[in-house]
Amino acid sequence: MDPMASDAGFDVDDRSPASSGWEFACDFEVDYRSEEHANIVYATLAVDKELQPDKVKRQMSISDGKLKVHFEAVEARFLRASFSAFVDLMILTTQIIEEYN
Amino acid sequence: MYYNGFGPESTLRKLCPNELGQQWRRERELAVKKTLIAVGFEGSANKIGVAFVALDGTILSNPRHTYITPPCHGFLPRETAHHHLRHLLPLLRSALSDAGITPADVDCLCYTKGPGMGAPLQVSAVAVRALSQLWGKPIVAVNHCVAHIEMGRVVTGAEDPVVLFVSGGNTQVIAYSEGRYRIYGETIDIAVGNCLDRFARVLTLPNDPSPGYNIEQLVKKGEKFIDLPYVVKGMDVSFSGILSYIEATAAEKLKINECTPADLCYSLQMIDCAQETVFAMLVEITERAMAHCDKKDVLIVGGIGCNERLQEMMRVMCSERGGKLFATDDRYCIDNGAMIAYTGLLAFAHGMTTPLEESTFTQRFRNDLEEQYQQQTLALKLQSVINLGHSCCGFNFRHDRVQSWSRAEHLTSGTGSPPHSQHSAARAATKKEKDEQSDFKIEKKGTGKPFRSSRKGIVLDSGF
Repeated sequence: MDPMASDAGFDVDDRSPASSGWEFACDFEVDYRSEEHANIVYATLAVDKELQPDKVKRQMSISDGKLKVHFEAVEARFLRASFSAFVDLMILTTQIIEEYN
Repeated sequence: MYYNGFGPESTLRKLCPNELGQQWRRERELAVKKTLIAVGFEGSANKIGVAFVALDGTILSNPRHTYITPPCHGFLPRETAHHHLRHLLPLLRSALSDAGITPADVDCLCYTKGPGMGAPLQVSAVAVRALSQLWGKPIVAVNHCVAHIEMGRVVTGAEDPVVLFVSGGNTQVIAYSEGRYRIYGETIDIAVGNCLDRFARVLTLPNDPSPGYNIEQLVKKGEKFIDLPYVVKGMDVSFSGILSYIEATAAEKLKINECTPADLCYSLQMIDCAQETVFAMLVEITERAMAHCDKKDVLIVGGIGCNERLQEMMRVMCSERGGKLFATDDRYCIDNGAMIAYTGLLAFAHGMTTPLEESTFTQRFRNDLEEQYQQQTLALKLQSVINLGHSCCGFNFRHDRVQSWSRAEHLTSGTGSPPHSQHSAARAATKKEKDEQSDFKIEKKGTGKPFRSSRKGIVLDSGF
């Protein structure tokens, strides 16, 4: 199996507010090099909605075996909390795929 | 021939065992063809456990790992979740190899849906979702409280006991009565385990293996009795008063520079008496429930259930009433994967699964609410079929909670969009945030309204 390939592109953007309030955004993508694996990770992590939808928004998409995630938050601390929790669980999911694929 | 309602061999009485027998044979056939095996993931508090269990109750493997914090520290959600993340895969590996099976032998994947701390719960939920897709097996969500009771019943073989469920996050007296399980009494503030853990913090006792165990070892030689607040309100208990009293008094006595051996001795005795007092409160409400529903046996489940002093006190009470005490040791009392796997497997054998999209977790998850009612009905019915015991059928939901539940559902479920105002969503969010941040808080008052107003229901419910 092809392990988690690269963490291509990691971009925290706090330049200008896109819309009122959502000033902090973060984009990243993980290349699983497999549509199937990316789908598993997507389905696993999409179940839990963000706990504070009025403070943090999360969008996910898949293309070419890459999982793309976009965060938007009203404050940096909310962005950091959501992002780190998400990445922790994404790592667990990836490890499970690596082990039991 | 007709049924007159009085004969010992009445039609009705004959019918029930036969029906049960048929169902039981069907289940046995199913089990003989291929024994159903479930894997259970438990991670609602500071323990992560993975277990493989067969439908006949055989535990194939049941390893767990406890997150132990330094003395005087509770476990925080984020750190606890990190602990679970680190240990989940190694535990799964060792559980698989201990059980000597492969993923292909597994029939369903069970996890704790709640109640518990959010972040730690999420770890097992996520793991189960990923494994479900990789192994192609269904998911079963399990209520933690129900799992404790089911495990206690299958391990001890208690037929129809009053159940005292005492752990770090829960304190409830539950009994089967009038065709249903009912909650007869519970704590109105903190759980008894939470209270004991904080006594341990007053004395700066280590959290290894657990604060409660260390208190138990330390206070085995108490001599003097100190009068402490004893709070039993009707069928319910309250522990926050005694905790405040101990914390205030002991803090005074144990000031680092001025603490004399006599002060330390006094504080120790005080903790001893505090343990004695809270257990006496528990025995009292248990006895009251027994008297009320005319039962003689008691089953203690939950982490505090392995405290020998509590067992001893309860045993005395039971023997005075001509009954028996059923208790398990630390393998089954304390949170473990096997109880989740077993309870989930019962539900699965009855055709219940949780779709991937609905495999959420929830911090507050009452075991006497409508949603839970069906699952338990099925699980318990099935178990009674397997055990050929009485055909019990699920938890009662309280009259007072029905309304508040429908109102609070969106607040507590944490997923679906709130049907009401944005305001309530925001409130739920802040509430959740507060829960996540507060140290060691696994209360599960599922209602959105203050408890005081719902107390009426207890009176209603227990017929007083």
